[in-house]
Amino acid sequence: MSDILKTISLTIGYGDKTVVSDINVTLGKGDIIALIGPNGAGKSTLFKTFSSHIKPIGGKIELCGKDISLYSNKERAKLLGIVLTERPDDMFLKVFDVVAAGRYPYTDMFGNLTENDENEIKASLELVGIKNLIDRVFNTLSDGEKQKVMIAKAIAQNTPVIMLDEPTAFLDYPSKIELFSLLKRLAKEQEKTIIFSSHDLELLLRYTDNLWILAKDKPFVSGKSQQLLKDGVIKDYFGIKDSDNEFLLKENV
Amino acid sequence: MKNSKVLIGILGIIVLGILLFLLNLFVGSVTIPFGDIVKVLLKENTDNTLNVIIFDYRLPQALTALLAGAALAVAGLLMQTLFRNPLADPSMLGISSGASLGVGLVILLTGAISGAAISSFGWWSTVGVSLAAFIGAVAVLFIMLAFSARMKNMTTLIIIGLMIAYLAGSITDILKFFSLKEDIHAFVIWGMGSFSGVGTSKLLIFSISIIIGLFATFFLSKNLNILLLGEMYAENLGLNIKRNSVIIILLSGYLTAIVTAYCGPIAFVGLAMPHIARFLFKSSDHRLLIPATMLIGMDLTLFCILIARMPGFDGNLPINAVTAFIGAPVVISVIMKSRKQ
Repeated sequence: MSDILKTISLTIGYGDKTVVSDINVTLGKGDIIALIGPNGAGKSTLFKTFSSHIKPIGGKIELCGKDISLYSNKERAKLLGIVLTERPDDMFLKVFDVVAAGRYPYTDMFGNLTENDENEIKASLELVGIKNLIDRVFNTLSDGEKQKVMIAKAIAQNTPVIMLDEPTAFLDYPSKIELFSLLKRLAKEQEKTIIFSSHDLELLLRYTDNLWILAKDKPFVSGKSQQLLKDGVIKDYFGIKDSDNEFLLKENV
Repeated sequence: MKNSKVLIGILGIIVLGILLFLLNLFVGSVTIPFGDIVKVLLKENTDNTLNVIIFDYRLPQALTALLAGAALAVAGLLMQTLFRNPLADPSMLGISSGASLGVGLVILLTGAISGAAISSFGWWSTVGVSLAAFIGAVAVLFIMLAFSARMKNMTTLIIIGLMIAYLAGSITDILKFFSLKEDIHAFVIWGMGSFSGVGTSKLLIFSISIIIGLFATFFLSKNLNILLLGEMYAENLGLNIKRNSVIIILLSGYLTAIVTAYCGPIAFVGLAMPHIARFLFKSSDHRLLIPATMLIGMDLTLFCILIARMPGFDGNLPINAVTAFIGAPVVISVIMKSRKQ
């Protein structure tokens, strides 16, 4: 299987302030990764580096076999899509318009949508199960619905990689479960490579296989969630008490 | 909104604009019968007074007003979308303040240096004032461009723009403090704004410069549309944020600088017109908003000069008093409406 996203001794941070160093990971088609760690450990920094908002301090990122810095903005926009916690805030922006923005890298200079673009937009909404919301004003939706619209935007963008920054934040419990299942379905059926960050440790241990852990002053760790739990890495990184860790082990392994 | 409704809306605004334009030709201190206006326009008229009134006064003023209205309105739309702030307008770039400072320097320093008021220099004074306003506006514009090329954060850019505006304003105030009474009067009059200063001789250059700028804004609609999602999303979708904000500020600043140079600082058009366009068409699509905002801007300014020319005002009512009088209630109603949603 060819590598979709690969980092080679990647060091991230702002200016000359290193946040996390020596990250070496490889992701293939259909891989789904949960990124965890306390606030300030570098999750957003990693996201911003992957999305080329900031430059890495050292090392490099390969996206679909090529150094990510060698892509033009437009080329990169066709390979990596993002979903943020930030939401569009406009009085008249419709669900259709938001998802249509995902087609930006493909449309002509005035942004006119072709029939193919419109079909992609509808298919994306269908895939996340909110086709009925297509004519609604984005601002009037619930948090869960907004989240799905932003995911539909990323799907319409038609990129092999989708990154989501805390997609389960602000969601109620059933919506969180629904979101996990949606992401897994996207990875499996659409062969998307998905990276998402989350604070819901207990849900992650139950529903995801692969974890990346970031923590302050500790090396970057990646591995199977069950293994990381058994090896005591989760206990170490999150400062969980021994007695509580035994409980976690009993419940999850 | 359905396409047919959009078309009807646009047509309605255009018809209203044509009506207001014609009204502007025959309403004023001298009422000219409609038949005579047609004769004048077809050049079949021999009465020279009527020709002068129409061709030297009313027609240039109406054309200036409608172009300035379109330019300021669309400049405001660009600012509001770039800064994602419904209260943004071209003055946020400090451009009007830069123009005021330029004019202030010329008007107030002429008096201090030569000891005579600038109005005593006749024709040179009007050219000098336009030129000074343009240089002041462009100087501030370049300062803002230098900042926008260096930062991705729009909030910091707004703050810098406002600070530059305050800085230019305070220098202007200091100049005023040391100036002759007649000069201050001339400066205050310029600050009230007027669409009658362009006149036939400068109208061609003014029109061409504005039309080029208006035409260029149409090519920004795609980028403006994805900016509505926020800078991070727009960047991920392939937009070069810094280059795009430089282009938007350049275009918005260019239009504002030209209008301010010829007409003085005109308030409220840039702030209020984009809101009317959005609410009228319930849309955020700039492919529609750009032409709609321009057309609504034209209608408003034509309406404003008509009001200013109503019997009793004799065309001397400062245009800024009228634009604000109509613009302010619009802004208030928009804010109240958006709070309810």
